[in-house]
Amino acid sequence: MKKLEEARRAYENTPIPEELSSRVEEGIRQGRGARQRRQRLRRRWLSAAACLTLLIAGLNMSPTVAQAAAEVPVIGGLFRVLTFVSYDKTEDDINYSVTVPEVDAESALAETVNKVIQEKVDQHLAKAQQDWEEYREAFFATGGTEEQWAGRQMDVIVDYEIKFQSDTEVSFVVTMAEGWVSSMEERTCYNLNLTENREITLKDLLGENWAEISTAAIQRQIDEEPQKYFTPEMGGFTAVDENTAFYIREDGVPVALFAEYEIAPGSTGFPEFPLA
Amino acid sequence: MQTPADTPLTTYLIAEQARFYRLAYSYLRQREDALDAVQSAVCRALERQDSLRNPELIRPWFYRILINTCLDVLRRRSRVVPLEDWAETGREDPPPPDEDLSRQVEALPPPVSTVIKLRFYEDLSLREISEATGSNVNTVKSRLYAGLKKLRISMEGEDIR
Repeated sequence: MKKLEEARRAYENTPIPEELSSRVEEGIRQGRGARQRRQRLRRRWLSAAACLTLLIAGLNMSPTVAQAAAEVPVIGGLFRVLTFVSYDKTEDDINYSVTVPEVDAESALAETVNKVIQEKVDQHLAKAQQDWEEYREAFFATGGTEEQWAGRQMDVIVDYEIKFQSDTEVSFVVTMAEGWVSSMEERTCYNLNLTENREITLKDLLGENWAEISTAAIQRQIDEEPQKYFTPEMGGFTAVDENTAFYIREDGVPVALFAEYEIAPGSTGFPEFPLA
Repeated sequence: MQTPADTPLTTYLIAEQARFYRLAYSYLRQREDALDAVQSAVCRALERQDSLRNPELIRPWFYRILINTCLDVLRRRSRVVPLEDWAETGREDPPPPDEDLSRQVEALPPPVSTVIKLRFYEDLSLREISEATGSNVNTVKSRLYAGLKKLRISMEGEDIR
C-alpha cells in the first residue's frame, strides 16, 4: 500500500497549466450554448407539430378558418418563407433535427435560392452520415467494443431563423450543425429582394462607401475588446468585402456575421457586428 | 465574456478542474490534448446535464464523460500518422517524477488502469467506479484485483470497499 501512496503523490504532482481555468470556462460557455440550441429546437418542433395538427383540423372544418389560415404566413403578399420540411428522428445512433426553409414566391430568384438551400442541406446530411460511419468504423477497428459504443450518438441539426422581412425583402440565416466528439456549425445568410429578383448587398443598405463604413464599424467594435479576437497577423479581421456574410436586423441594420475561428478563437463563438 | 451563473454542476466543474486535468493527462500524456479533453468533456457535461438524474452521482457521471473523451482521443491518435516532428513537440511538460509504480499503472491496459486510478488516486468507491466505467461491480472488482496482482501489491488483508 505504501507504494501506492507514493504513486498517488507522483500523480498529484502533475503540473497544472495556467490556462486550465479559462479552458474550463470556455467549455461551460460552449456547453450552455449547445444545450440551449437543443432545447430551442425541441420546443420549436413540438409547437410546429401542434400548430400543424390544429391547422389540418381547422382546414377540414370551416371555410372561414381555411381562408384565415391561408393569410397567416403571408409576409407581404408577394412571397412568404415557409418550412419546407421538418422532422426529428433517430436513426443509426444519429439524432436528426431538421427544419429546412423554402421561399414561396413567383420568382426565378426564389427558385434558385430554394435549390441552393436544398443542395446544401443534402450535402450536409450526407457528410454527417459519412463522418459518423468513419468514426464508428475506426472505433471498432481500434478495439472498441459494443459495450463501450453503447449510448454514443451524433446530433445533426438544420434550422433557420428569419431576421427581417418587409413587403419585398427578406433576410434569413440557415444553420447546419454536426455534434459528436467535436462540433461543427455553419451559418449561411440569405438576403433577398423578391420583386427585383436579386440579392441585397451592403451597398444597397449603406451606400457607395459601404466597404469603408462597415470596416470601420467592425474595427471599432474589435478595438473595444481586442483580447477576444485574432490580430491581423494571426489571420484576424482586416476589411469587409463583397464576400463578407451579413444578415439584416429587425430594425433594418445590417449585421456582419463571421464563422467560428474565422477571425477569433473558438471561445468567442460566431462574432457578429452591427454595421451602424 | 459574461461570467457563468453558478449551478451545482458548474460549481463542481470549476472546483475540481485540477483533478480532471490530472486524470486526462494520465491518459494522454500531452498537455494540449489533456486541456482539449477537459474542455470538451465540460462542454458535453453542460450540454447533456439532463442525463444526470441523481445529483449525488455527479462525480462518477462526469468521470465517465471525461474518460470516454480521453479514450476517443487515444483511439483517434492510433489511426493518425505521427507528425515528423512528433519527438520535439510531443511533450512539453516534464514527465512525472520517475516513480516506478506510477509508470507501471500507466502501462496496464486502460480498463484496468482506469479502475486503479479511480480507486486509489481519486478515491471513488467500487460502486462509483462501476457508474463511471459503465461496467458492473463484479467486473470492477476483478479488474482491480487483476491490476493489483500485476503491480505485485498485496492488500495485506485490507478490505476494499
